[in-house]
Amino acid sequence: MSSQGQVSFRNIVKMHGEFAALKGVNFDIKPGEFFALLGPSGSGKSTTLRILAGLDAPTAGRVLIDDKDVTSTDARDRDIAMVFQSYALYPHMTVAENIAFPLEMAKLPKSEIAPTVKEAARKVKIDHLLDRKPGQLSGGQQQRCALARAIVRKARLFLLDEPLSNLDAKLRLETRAELKKLQRSLGITAVYVTHDQEEAMTLADRMAVFMSGEIQQVGTPAEVFARPNSIDIAGFIGNPPMNLVPARYVDGDVIIAGHRLKTTATTAGERDVVVGLRPGALRMTEGGLGARVDLIEDLGDTAVLDLDCAGTMIRMRVADGNIPGEGDTISITARPQDIHLFDPATRMRL
Amino acid sequence: MATTAVTSAGIASEAPRSDFGRVLAQRERRFAAALLAPAFLALLATTTFPLLFLVYTSAFRMDLAMPFTNGFVGFENYQVLLSDERFWTSLLVSLVYTGSTVALQVIIGLALALLVMDMKRGQGCFRVIAILPVVLSPAVVGMIWRTFMLAPEFGIVDFLAINAGLGSKNWLGDPTLAMVSVIAIHTWQWTPFAFMVLLASLASLPEDIYEAARLDRASAWQRFRRITLPLLRPAIVMVIIMRTMVALTAFAAIFTVTAGGPGTATEILNLYAYRKSFTELSIGYGSALAVALLIVTIIISGILFAMRRAK
Repeated sequence: MSSQGQVSFRNIVKMHGEFAALKGVNFDIKPGEFFALLGPSGSGKSTTLRILAGLDAPTAGRVLIDDKDVTSTDARDRDIAMVFQSYALYPHMTVAENIAFPLEMAKLPKSEIAPTVKEAARKVKIDHLLDRKPGQLSGGQQQRCALARAIVRKARLFLLDEPLSNLDAKLRLETRAELKKLQRSLGITAVYVTHDQEEAMTLADRMAVFMSGEIQQVGTPAEVFARPNSIDIAGFIGNPPMNLVPARYVDGDVIIAGHRLKTTATTAGERDVVVGLRPGALRMTEGGLGARVDLIEDLGDTAVLDLDCAGTMIRMRVADGNIPGEGDTISITARPQDIHLFDPATRMRL
Repeated sequence: MATTAVTSAGIASEAPRSDFGRVLAQRERRFAAALLAPAFLALLATTTFPLLFLVYTSAFRMDLAMPFTNGFVGFENYQVLLSDERFWTSLLVSLVYTGSTVALQVIIGLALALLVMDMKRGQGCFRVIAILPVVLSPAVVGMIWRTFMLAPEFGIVDFLAINAGLGSKNWLGDPTLAMVSVIAIHTWQWTPFAFMVLLASLASLPEDIYEAARLDRASAWQRFRRITLPLLRPAIVMVIIMRTMVALTAFAAIFTVTAGGPGTATEILNLYAYRKSFTELSIGYGSALAVALLIVTIIISGILFAMRRAK
């Protein structure tokens, strides 16, 4: 693991006129970590990445890289490599020239450039395309060229701005796995922006979830999935996302559509809550919450059921071979530890 | 081919569709030719015919002052031309004039375009002001410069020169200064053209490759030399080609400012051909000079177009 590439954001604010794109963002990235910035479009994740790269300046706050304040350091002096969503390849240069460009700028001797370029190209499997221009490459090949250009100069930070979003579904899955292996083998700190929660979940060691200019949760993908901090995150993470049902909390139980479910909470008293239920955590049982099957989406190995529980829509994932018919009435329940409680007013976890 | 059943309405079924398509394409071609014909004929009458007539005239001795010597002389005018010192001088003046005005237009136009690209406000306003000289007639531009700008004591340029301690200069009377002046005038009028073309080209360059270059640690100069210049190359070459052709055949501005003088200091080939034909009334020799200019223009354009195609 690399010992450099530690990043800290301290109260970063970014204003575009009156609009606050970032409202005080704080997080730390450890050296060698694969860190994802996840959030819907417009949530501020790309702005965060651009501020880290030095392409945009924050309105307030400090950016630290390896404990050094780089807030006012120009992008070219930060020793950062980046893969752009559009790849940003130099259209007039060949693949080899594109990859060699950062080395030439670093004034590496000519005799060293050629083998280094070849090695980087080989790592991303485009060493047979070195003489082509970007316009003669497919989307996937262009993406690899951009990757090679980023890894060729051993920068201390590796930023990726939605690098897979322009690839087709199959290529995206393949590249995703290769990207992770590449980052591991290089031992470099990577910061990865994506709006695709599946990408973040599979790639990241840890991730920060952005919602309207703020980080709502930082943690490992498993942590964020298991204990989402807010209603917004709960509704964003997971496919299909968590069911969020308004309910009444009474002395450790929740009442949904007249049916009582046990929770792990022990506080006495009564209040309105929003109950979060993962579609996969629901199970069929005798004497549970009554529901009518409205629609079945068969995914092959599993199926997603759209259930109508006395007017409340709930989605449930069931394994193959256990699928009821459309229009059937079933009875469902969830284990206490699978029931998430949120405050409807603050939208935060209780 | 099965049933080539063509109905009375002329609609073919299945196999004959390609025949039908061919008929249609032929009809379309005929219609296109009919539409093209008027413009083609007009061009033929106004450009090709005069050009051929010019070449024809150049093979004659046509001296309006001494009409009794007129007659077919073949290549004699060209033989005279090759040993005419004034021809070579005017050709050199033409080349200097063209080379320096085109170089200045591209350099100043590119510098302005780069500056204006970084302007946060007032870009539109600047563009409107910049385009003004282009829409003026070169003759008007010549008059403006001769009277308002370069007139001794009263002209703005002379006034500035006096105030800068250089003293009053005879801008159009001194051979070197007259050449500098006509180059400045042409550059002043036509730089906005280069500026507009290069600005449009610059604006179309993607922003993200500059960001990538910054992260790749390229300095501003390296970004300009390694990215901007190569990407602008097609536009720059196009500007050079277009401006070279115009500069080689420039006439009105020089004619109104210096009329080729003092002496022959600013006499470009075009002006020499004009003077020979319409002042000395030697139409045949004037035509030969014009044909020579045409050949020079074709050769230079050919070289420039070859450069454009080259990598």
